[in-house]
Amino acid sequence: MRSSTSSSNASEFDRPLPGRPMGASWLVAVLVCVLMIGAWEMYWRGQGATPAYRNSEGLWAIQRRRIDAGDGHRQVLTGSSRTLFNLNLDTWEKVSGERPIQLALEGTSPLGVLESLAEDPHFTGQALVGVAPGLFYSGFEYRKKALTQFDKESWSQWLGQQISMRIEPFFAFYEPDFALFTVLERQPLPDREGVQNELDVRKLSNTISVDRNTQMWSRVETDPAYADIAQRTWADGFKPIEERDAEWIEKSLETRKTQIDRAVAAVETLRARGVEVIFVQHPVEGHYAVAEPMYHPRDKTWDVLIERSGAIGLHWQDHPEMQGYRLPEWSHMSASEAQRYTETLLRLIEQERARNKEQE
Amino acid sequence: MLFNSLTFVVFFGLVLALHNAPLDWKTKKTNLLIASYLFYAAWNPPFVVLLWLSTVLDWNIAKRLFSEQRLSRRRMLLAVSVAVNLGLLGYFKYGEFLMENFVALLSLAGVAYQAPEWNIILPVGISFYTFQTMAYSLDVYLKRAEPADSFLDFALFVTFFPQLVAGPIVRPTHLLPQFAVPRKATGRQLAWGLGLIVLGLFQKIVVADGLLSPVADAAFNSDKLLNPLDAWLGTLAFSGQIFSDFAGYSTTAIGVALTLGFGLPDNFRYPYASIGFSDFWRRWHISLSSWLRDYLYIPLGGNRKNEFRTYANLMTTMLLGGLWHGASWTFVVWGGLHGLFLAAERWLVGRFGKLGIWSRWPARIFLALLTYALVNITWVFFRAQDFATAWRMITSMLSFPSDGEKVLTSIYVLETVLTIGAMLVVHWRMRNRDLHQVVAATPAWLVGALLGIMMTLILITQGGSDAFIYFQF
Repeated sequence: MRSSTSSSNASEFDRPLPGRPMGASWLVAVLVCVLMIGAWEMYWRGQGATPAYRNSEGLWAIQRRRIDAGDGHRQVLTGSSRTLFNLNLDTWEKVSGERPIQLALEGTSPLGVLESLAEDPHFTGQALVGVAPGLFYSGFEYRKKALTQFDKESWSQWLGQQISMRIEPFFAFYEPDFALFTVLERQPLPDREGVQNELDVRKLSNTISVDRNTQMWSRVETDPAYADIAQRTWADGFKPIEERDAEWIEKSLETRKTQIDRAVAAVETLRARGVEVIFVQHPVEGHYAVAEPMYHPRDKTWDVLIERSGAIGLHWQDHPEMQGYRLPEWSHMSASEAQRYTETLLRLIEQERARNKEQE
Repeated sequence: MLFNSLTFVVFFGLVLALHNAPLDWKTKKTNLLIASYLFYAAWNPPFVVLLWLSTVLDWNIAKRLFSEQRLSRRRMLLAVSVAVNLGLLGYFKYGEFLMENFVALLSLAGVAYQAPEWNIILPVGISFYTFQTMAYSLDVYLKRAEPADSFLDFALFVTFFPQLVAGPIVRPTHLLPQFAVPRKATGRQLAWGLGLIVLGLFQKIVVADGLLSPVADAAFNSDKLLNPLDAWLGTLAFSGQIFSDFAGYSTTAIGVALTLGFGLPDNFRYPYASIGFSDFWRRWHISLSSWLRDYLYIPLGGNRKNEFRTYANLMTTMLLGGLWHGASWTFVVWGGLHGLFLAAERWLVGRFGKLGIWSRWPARIFLALLTYALVNITWVFFRAQDFATAWRMITSMLSFPSDGEKVLTSIYVLETVLTIGAMLVVHWRMRNRDLHQVVAATPAWLVGALLGIMMTLILITQGGSDAFIYFQF
């Protein structure tokens, strides 16, 4: 017998329901949820967290799109976390009169961003490229998804980002580092024999404005035990280069050459369009002061990059003004130091520009 | 658009508001249709054209099938519908797979052929809506149903956003009649629908993505032989992940539809409490297994022919069912294993099924555990990205290598044992019950507290908007 597709007796398709109303249950549910979320929020505020913007792919994509929407003439900052933490946008704006676009991505080589800028005819400003040797010369890209999101962002991703940005400034717990299972994974359970537990990078920064002005989280400055965890994370799994086999070293040398080639090519393209590129190697201490020269000796990396690219280069070892800052976990500056450092760096950039002009 | 996204929260709120606004029924259906296209276009707007193509084609073909009396013409019309629907599916989903196999065959024959790069993106949920629209033409051809009266209703049937991209695959005779008359959720339907949405999102965000996915990834992404405990826990974690991910989608879809006043059928009934594989397929992805039964297994002859044909039909159905999931030989093996287990069960039941021992609880628990263990073996082929990984996992699980690598941290071991243990207890206790009955028999405050805890865990897990696994099928 044929079934009808236009039956008027559509109630036969109703789903069965619980045999009593659920109003009281929903009342309890909302109450429980509000109380538990309130407790969770208070816990994180007690840990020193304050509401901030999530340093998400979508937030980065918004800044990147500015270049194609009339801001292509501006100063762009790109690099890794050191450029993100150490350069304060408010200070930069106060000193130079123009607010730069912050495109640095933590744990990520800036070359992908630099190439993207080189390919984009809308970009006609200046590019400051932070060089963190371990990332720059290895090409490692922890946050590559940001570039993918910029290229292929769907309208629902865009809308999701817009909604999220309306919520973020109100909740301290709404932060990837405080996600439940991230927190659980970091609990000091006894190690399982034979399993290497790698230390994860924990929350180090706060993004305090929608244009990604980012500064070190105050707890890293004020809580030595927390700074110690960060230091241990950086040094975790470190192996002196003598312990590396020849094949590994050969491969890393090849990769290094490729990265320098990529940088030089991007600078040439940008310079042909009149874009100024400045490379900056920010100061480091402790583990990084040992590991970086060991794996990326300056004469084989930085000096080659600056010579081949012909770009302005500011290396912390060359300028006493770039030294002596407080780096609580060896790699990044505290918020107050970042303001002082930004002023200094701008002054040095102007000096380098003037020197270059004189030479011309 | 993903259910587990902030965009969906706003989208759903707007759809719900419009559906409850004082508008006429046709306007409300038009709103739902536009919302459904927007929902789909969130991934890749041009692919909406595929939905339109399927809609217009099957609408017209079904009309003609209904009025046409000549068998040859009817067959031709059905062939056009099937060819276009499966053609689109084949091109987008299986094109690269066919090309790779073609190149491999040529290579075996000593012909070196470099295939052009295949840069075709898979339209989300294409397998689901293709089967849904094909069911419409097939039902009309088989005279199981009459064509829809309204093009708007039919377009909405093809596109209805709650179940568009990952099911349940709904039959025309189930959904079209619901569009024919005005429907709006009652207060109780709304409350229960919202409860189902919370449960579905909890399954997806907390259980699948938060608890189990990292464990399965750690085991399956290793390129070494694993310690047996790690291999088993990785596989068990995947079994829980795939269930929670897919059942979570279905539960959310059912909840969303219910808040709009529509009833969608169940897609899962606590499958890890199955006793035997035929029981498993009555509980796992019910809308697909019943589709395959009604439109493939039975038309092939089902069990009405001789014994050999029955087994052959079973294997054919399950092999194609495996291929439906993905364009890879690992999915074919997954389907083949299920076919083999179903065939073996049929043979064993025919010979030993009447023994009294099978009705006693120790035997039933043994059979349930055996079924679960074998289902887990099949999941290895479903999850592994290639046969090398699958063999590595199977070897690690079954040969107990003494030097197998440990990859799971203490917290992963703990999470998996507790989650899978709890999941098995829930499935076993709920085996012969319905959720709405259990909720009705539970104190209101306890139901509320559980809902509140689930909502909190969803919020503090802060899911990363990971796509549902079945979107890729």
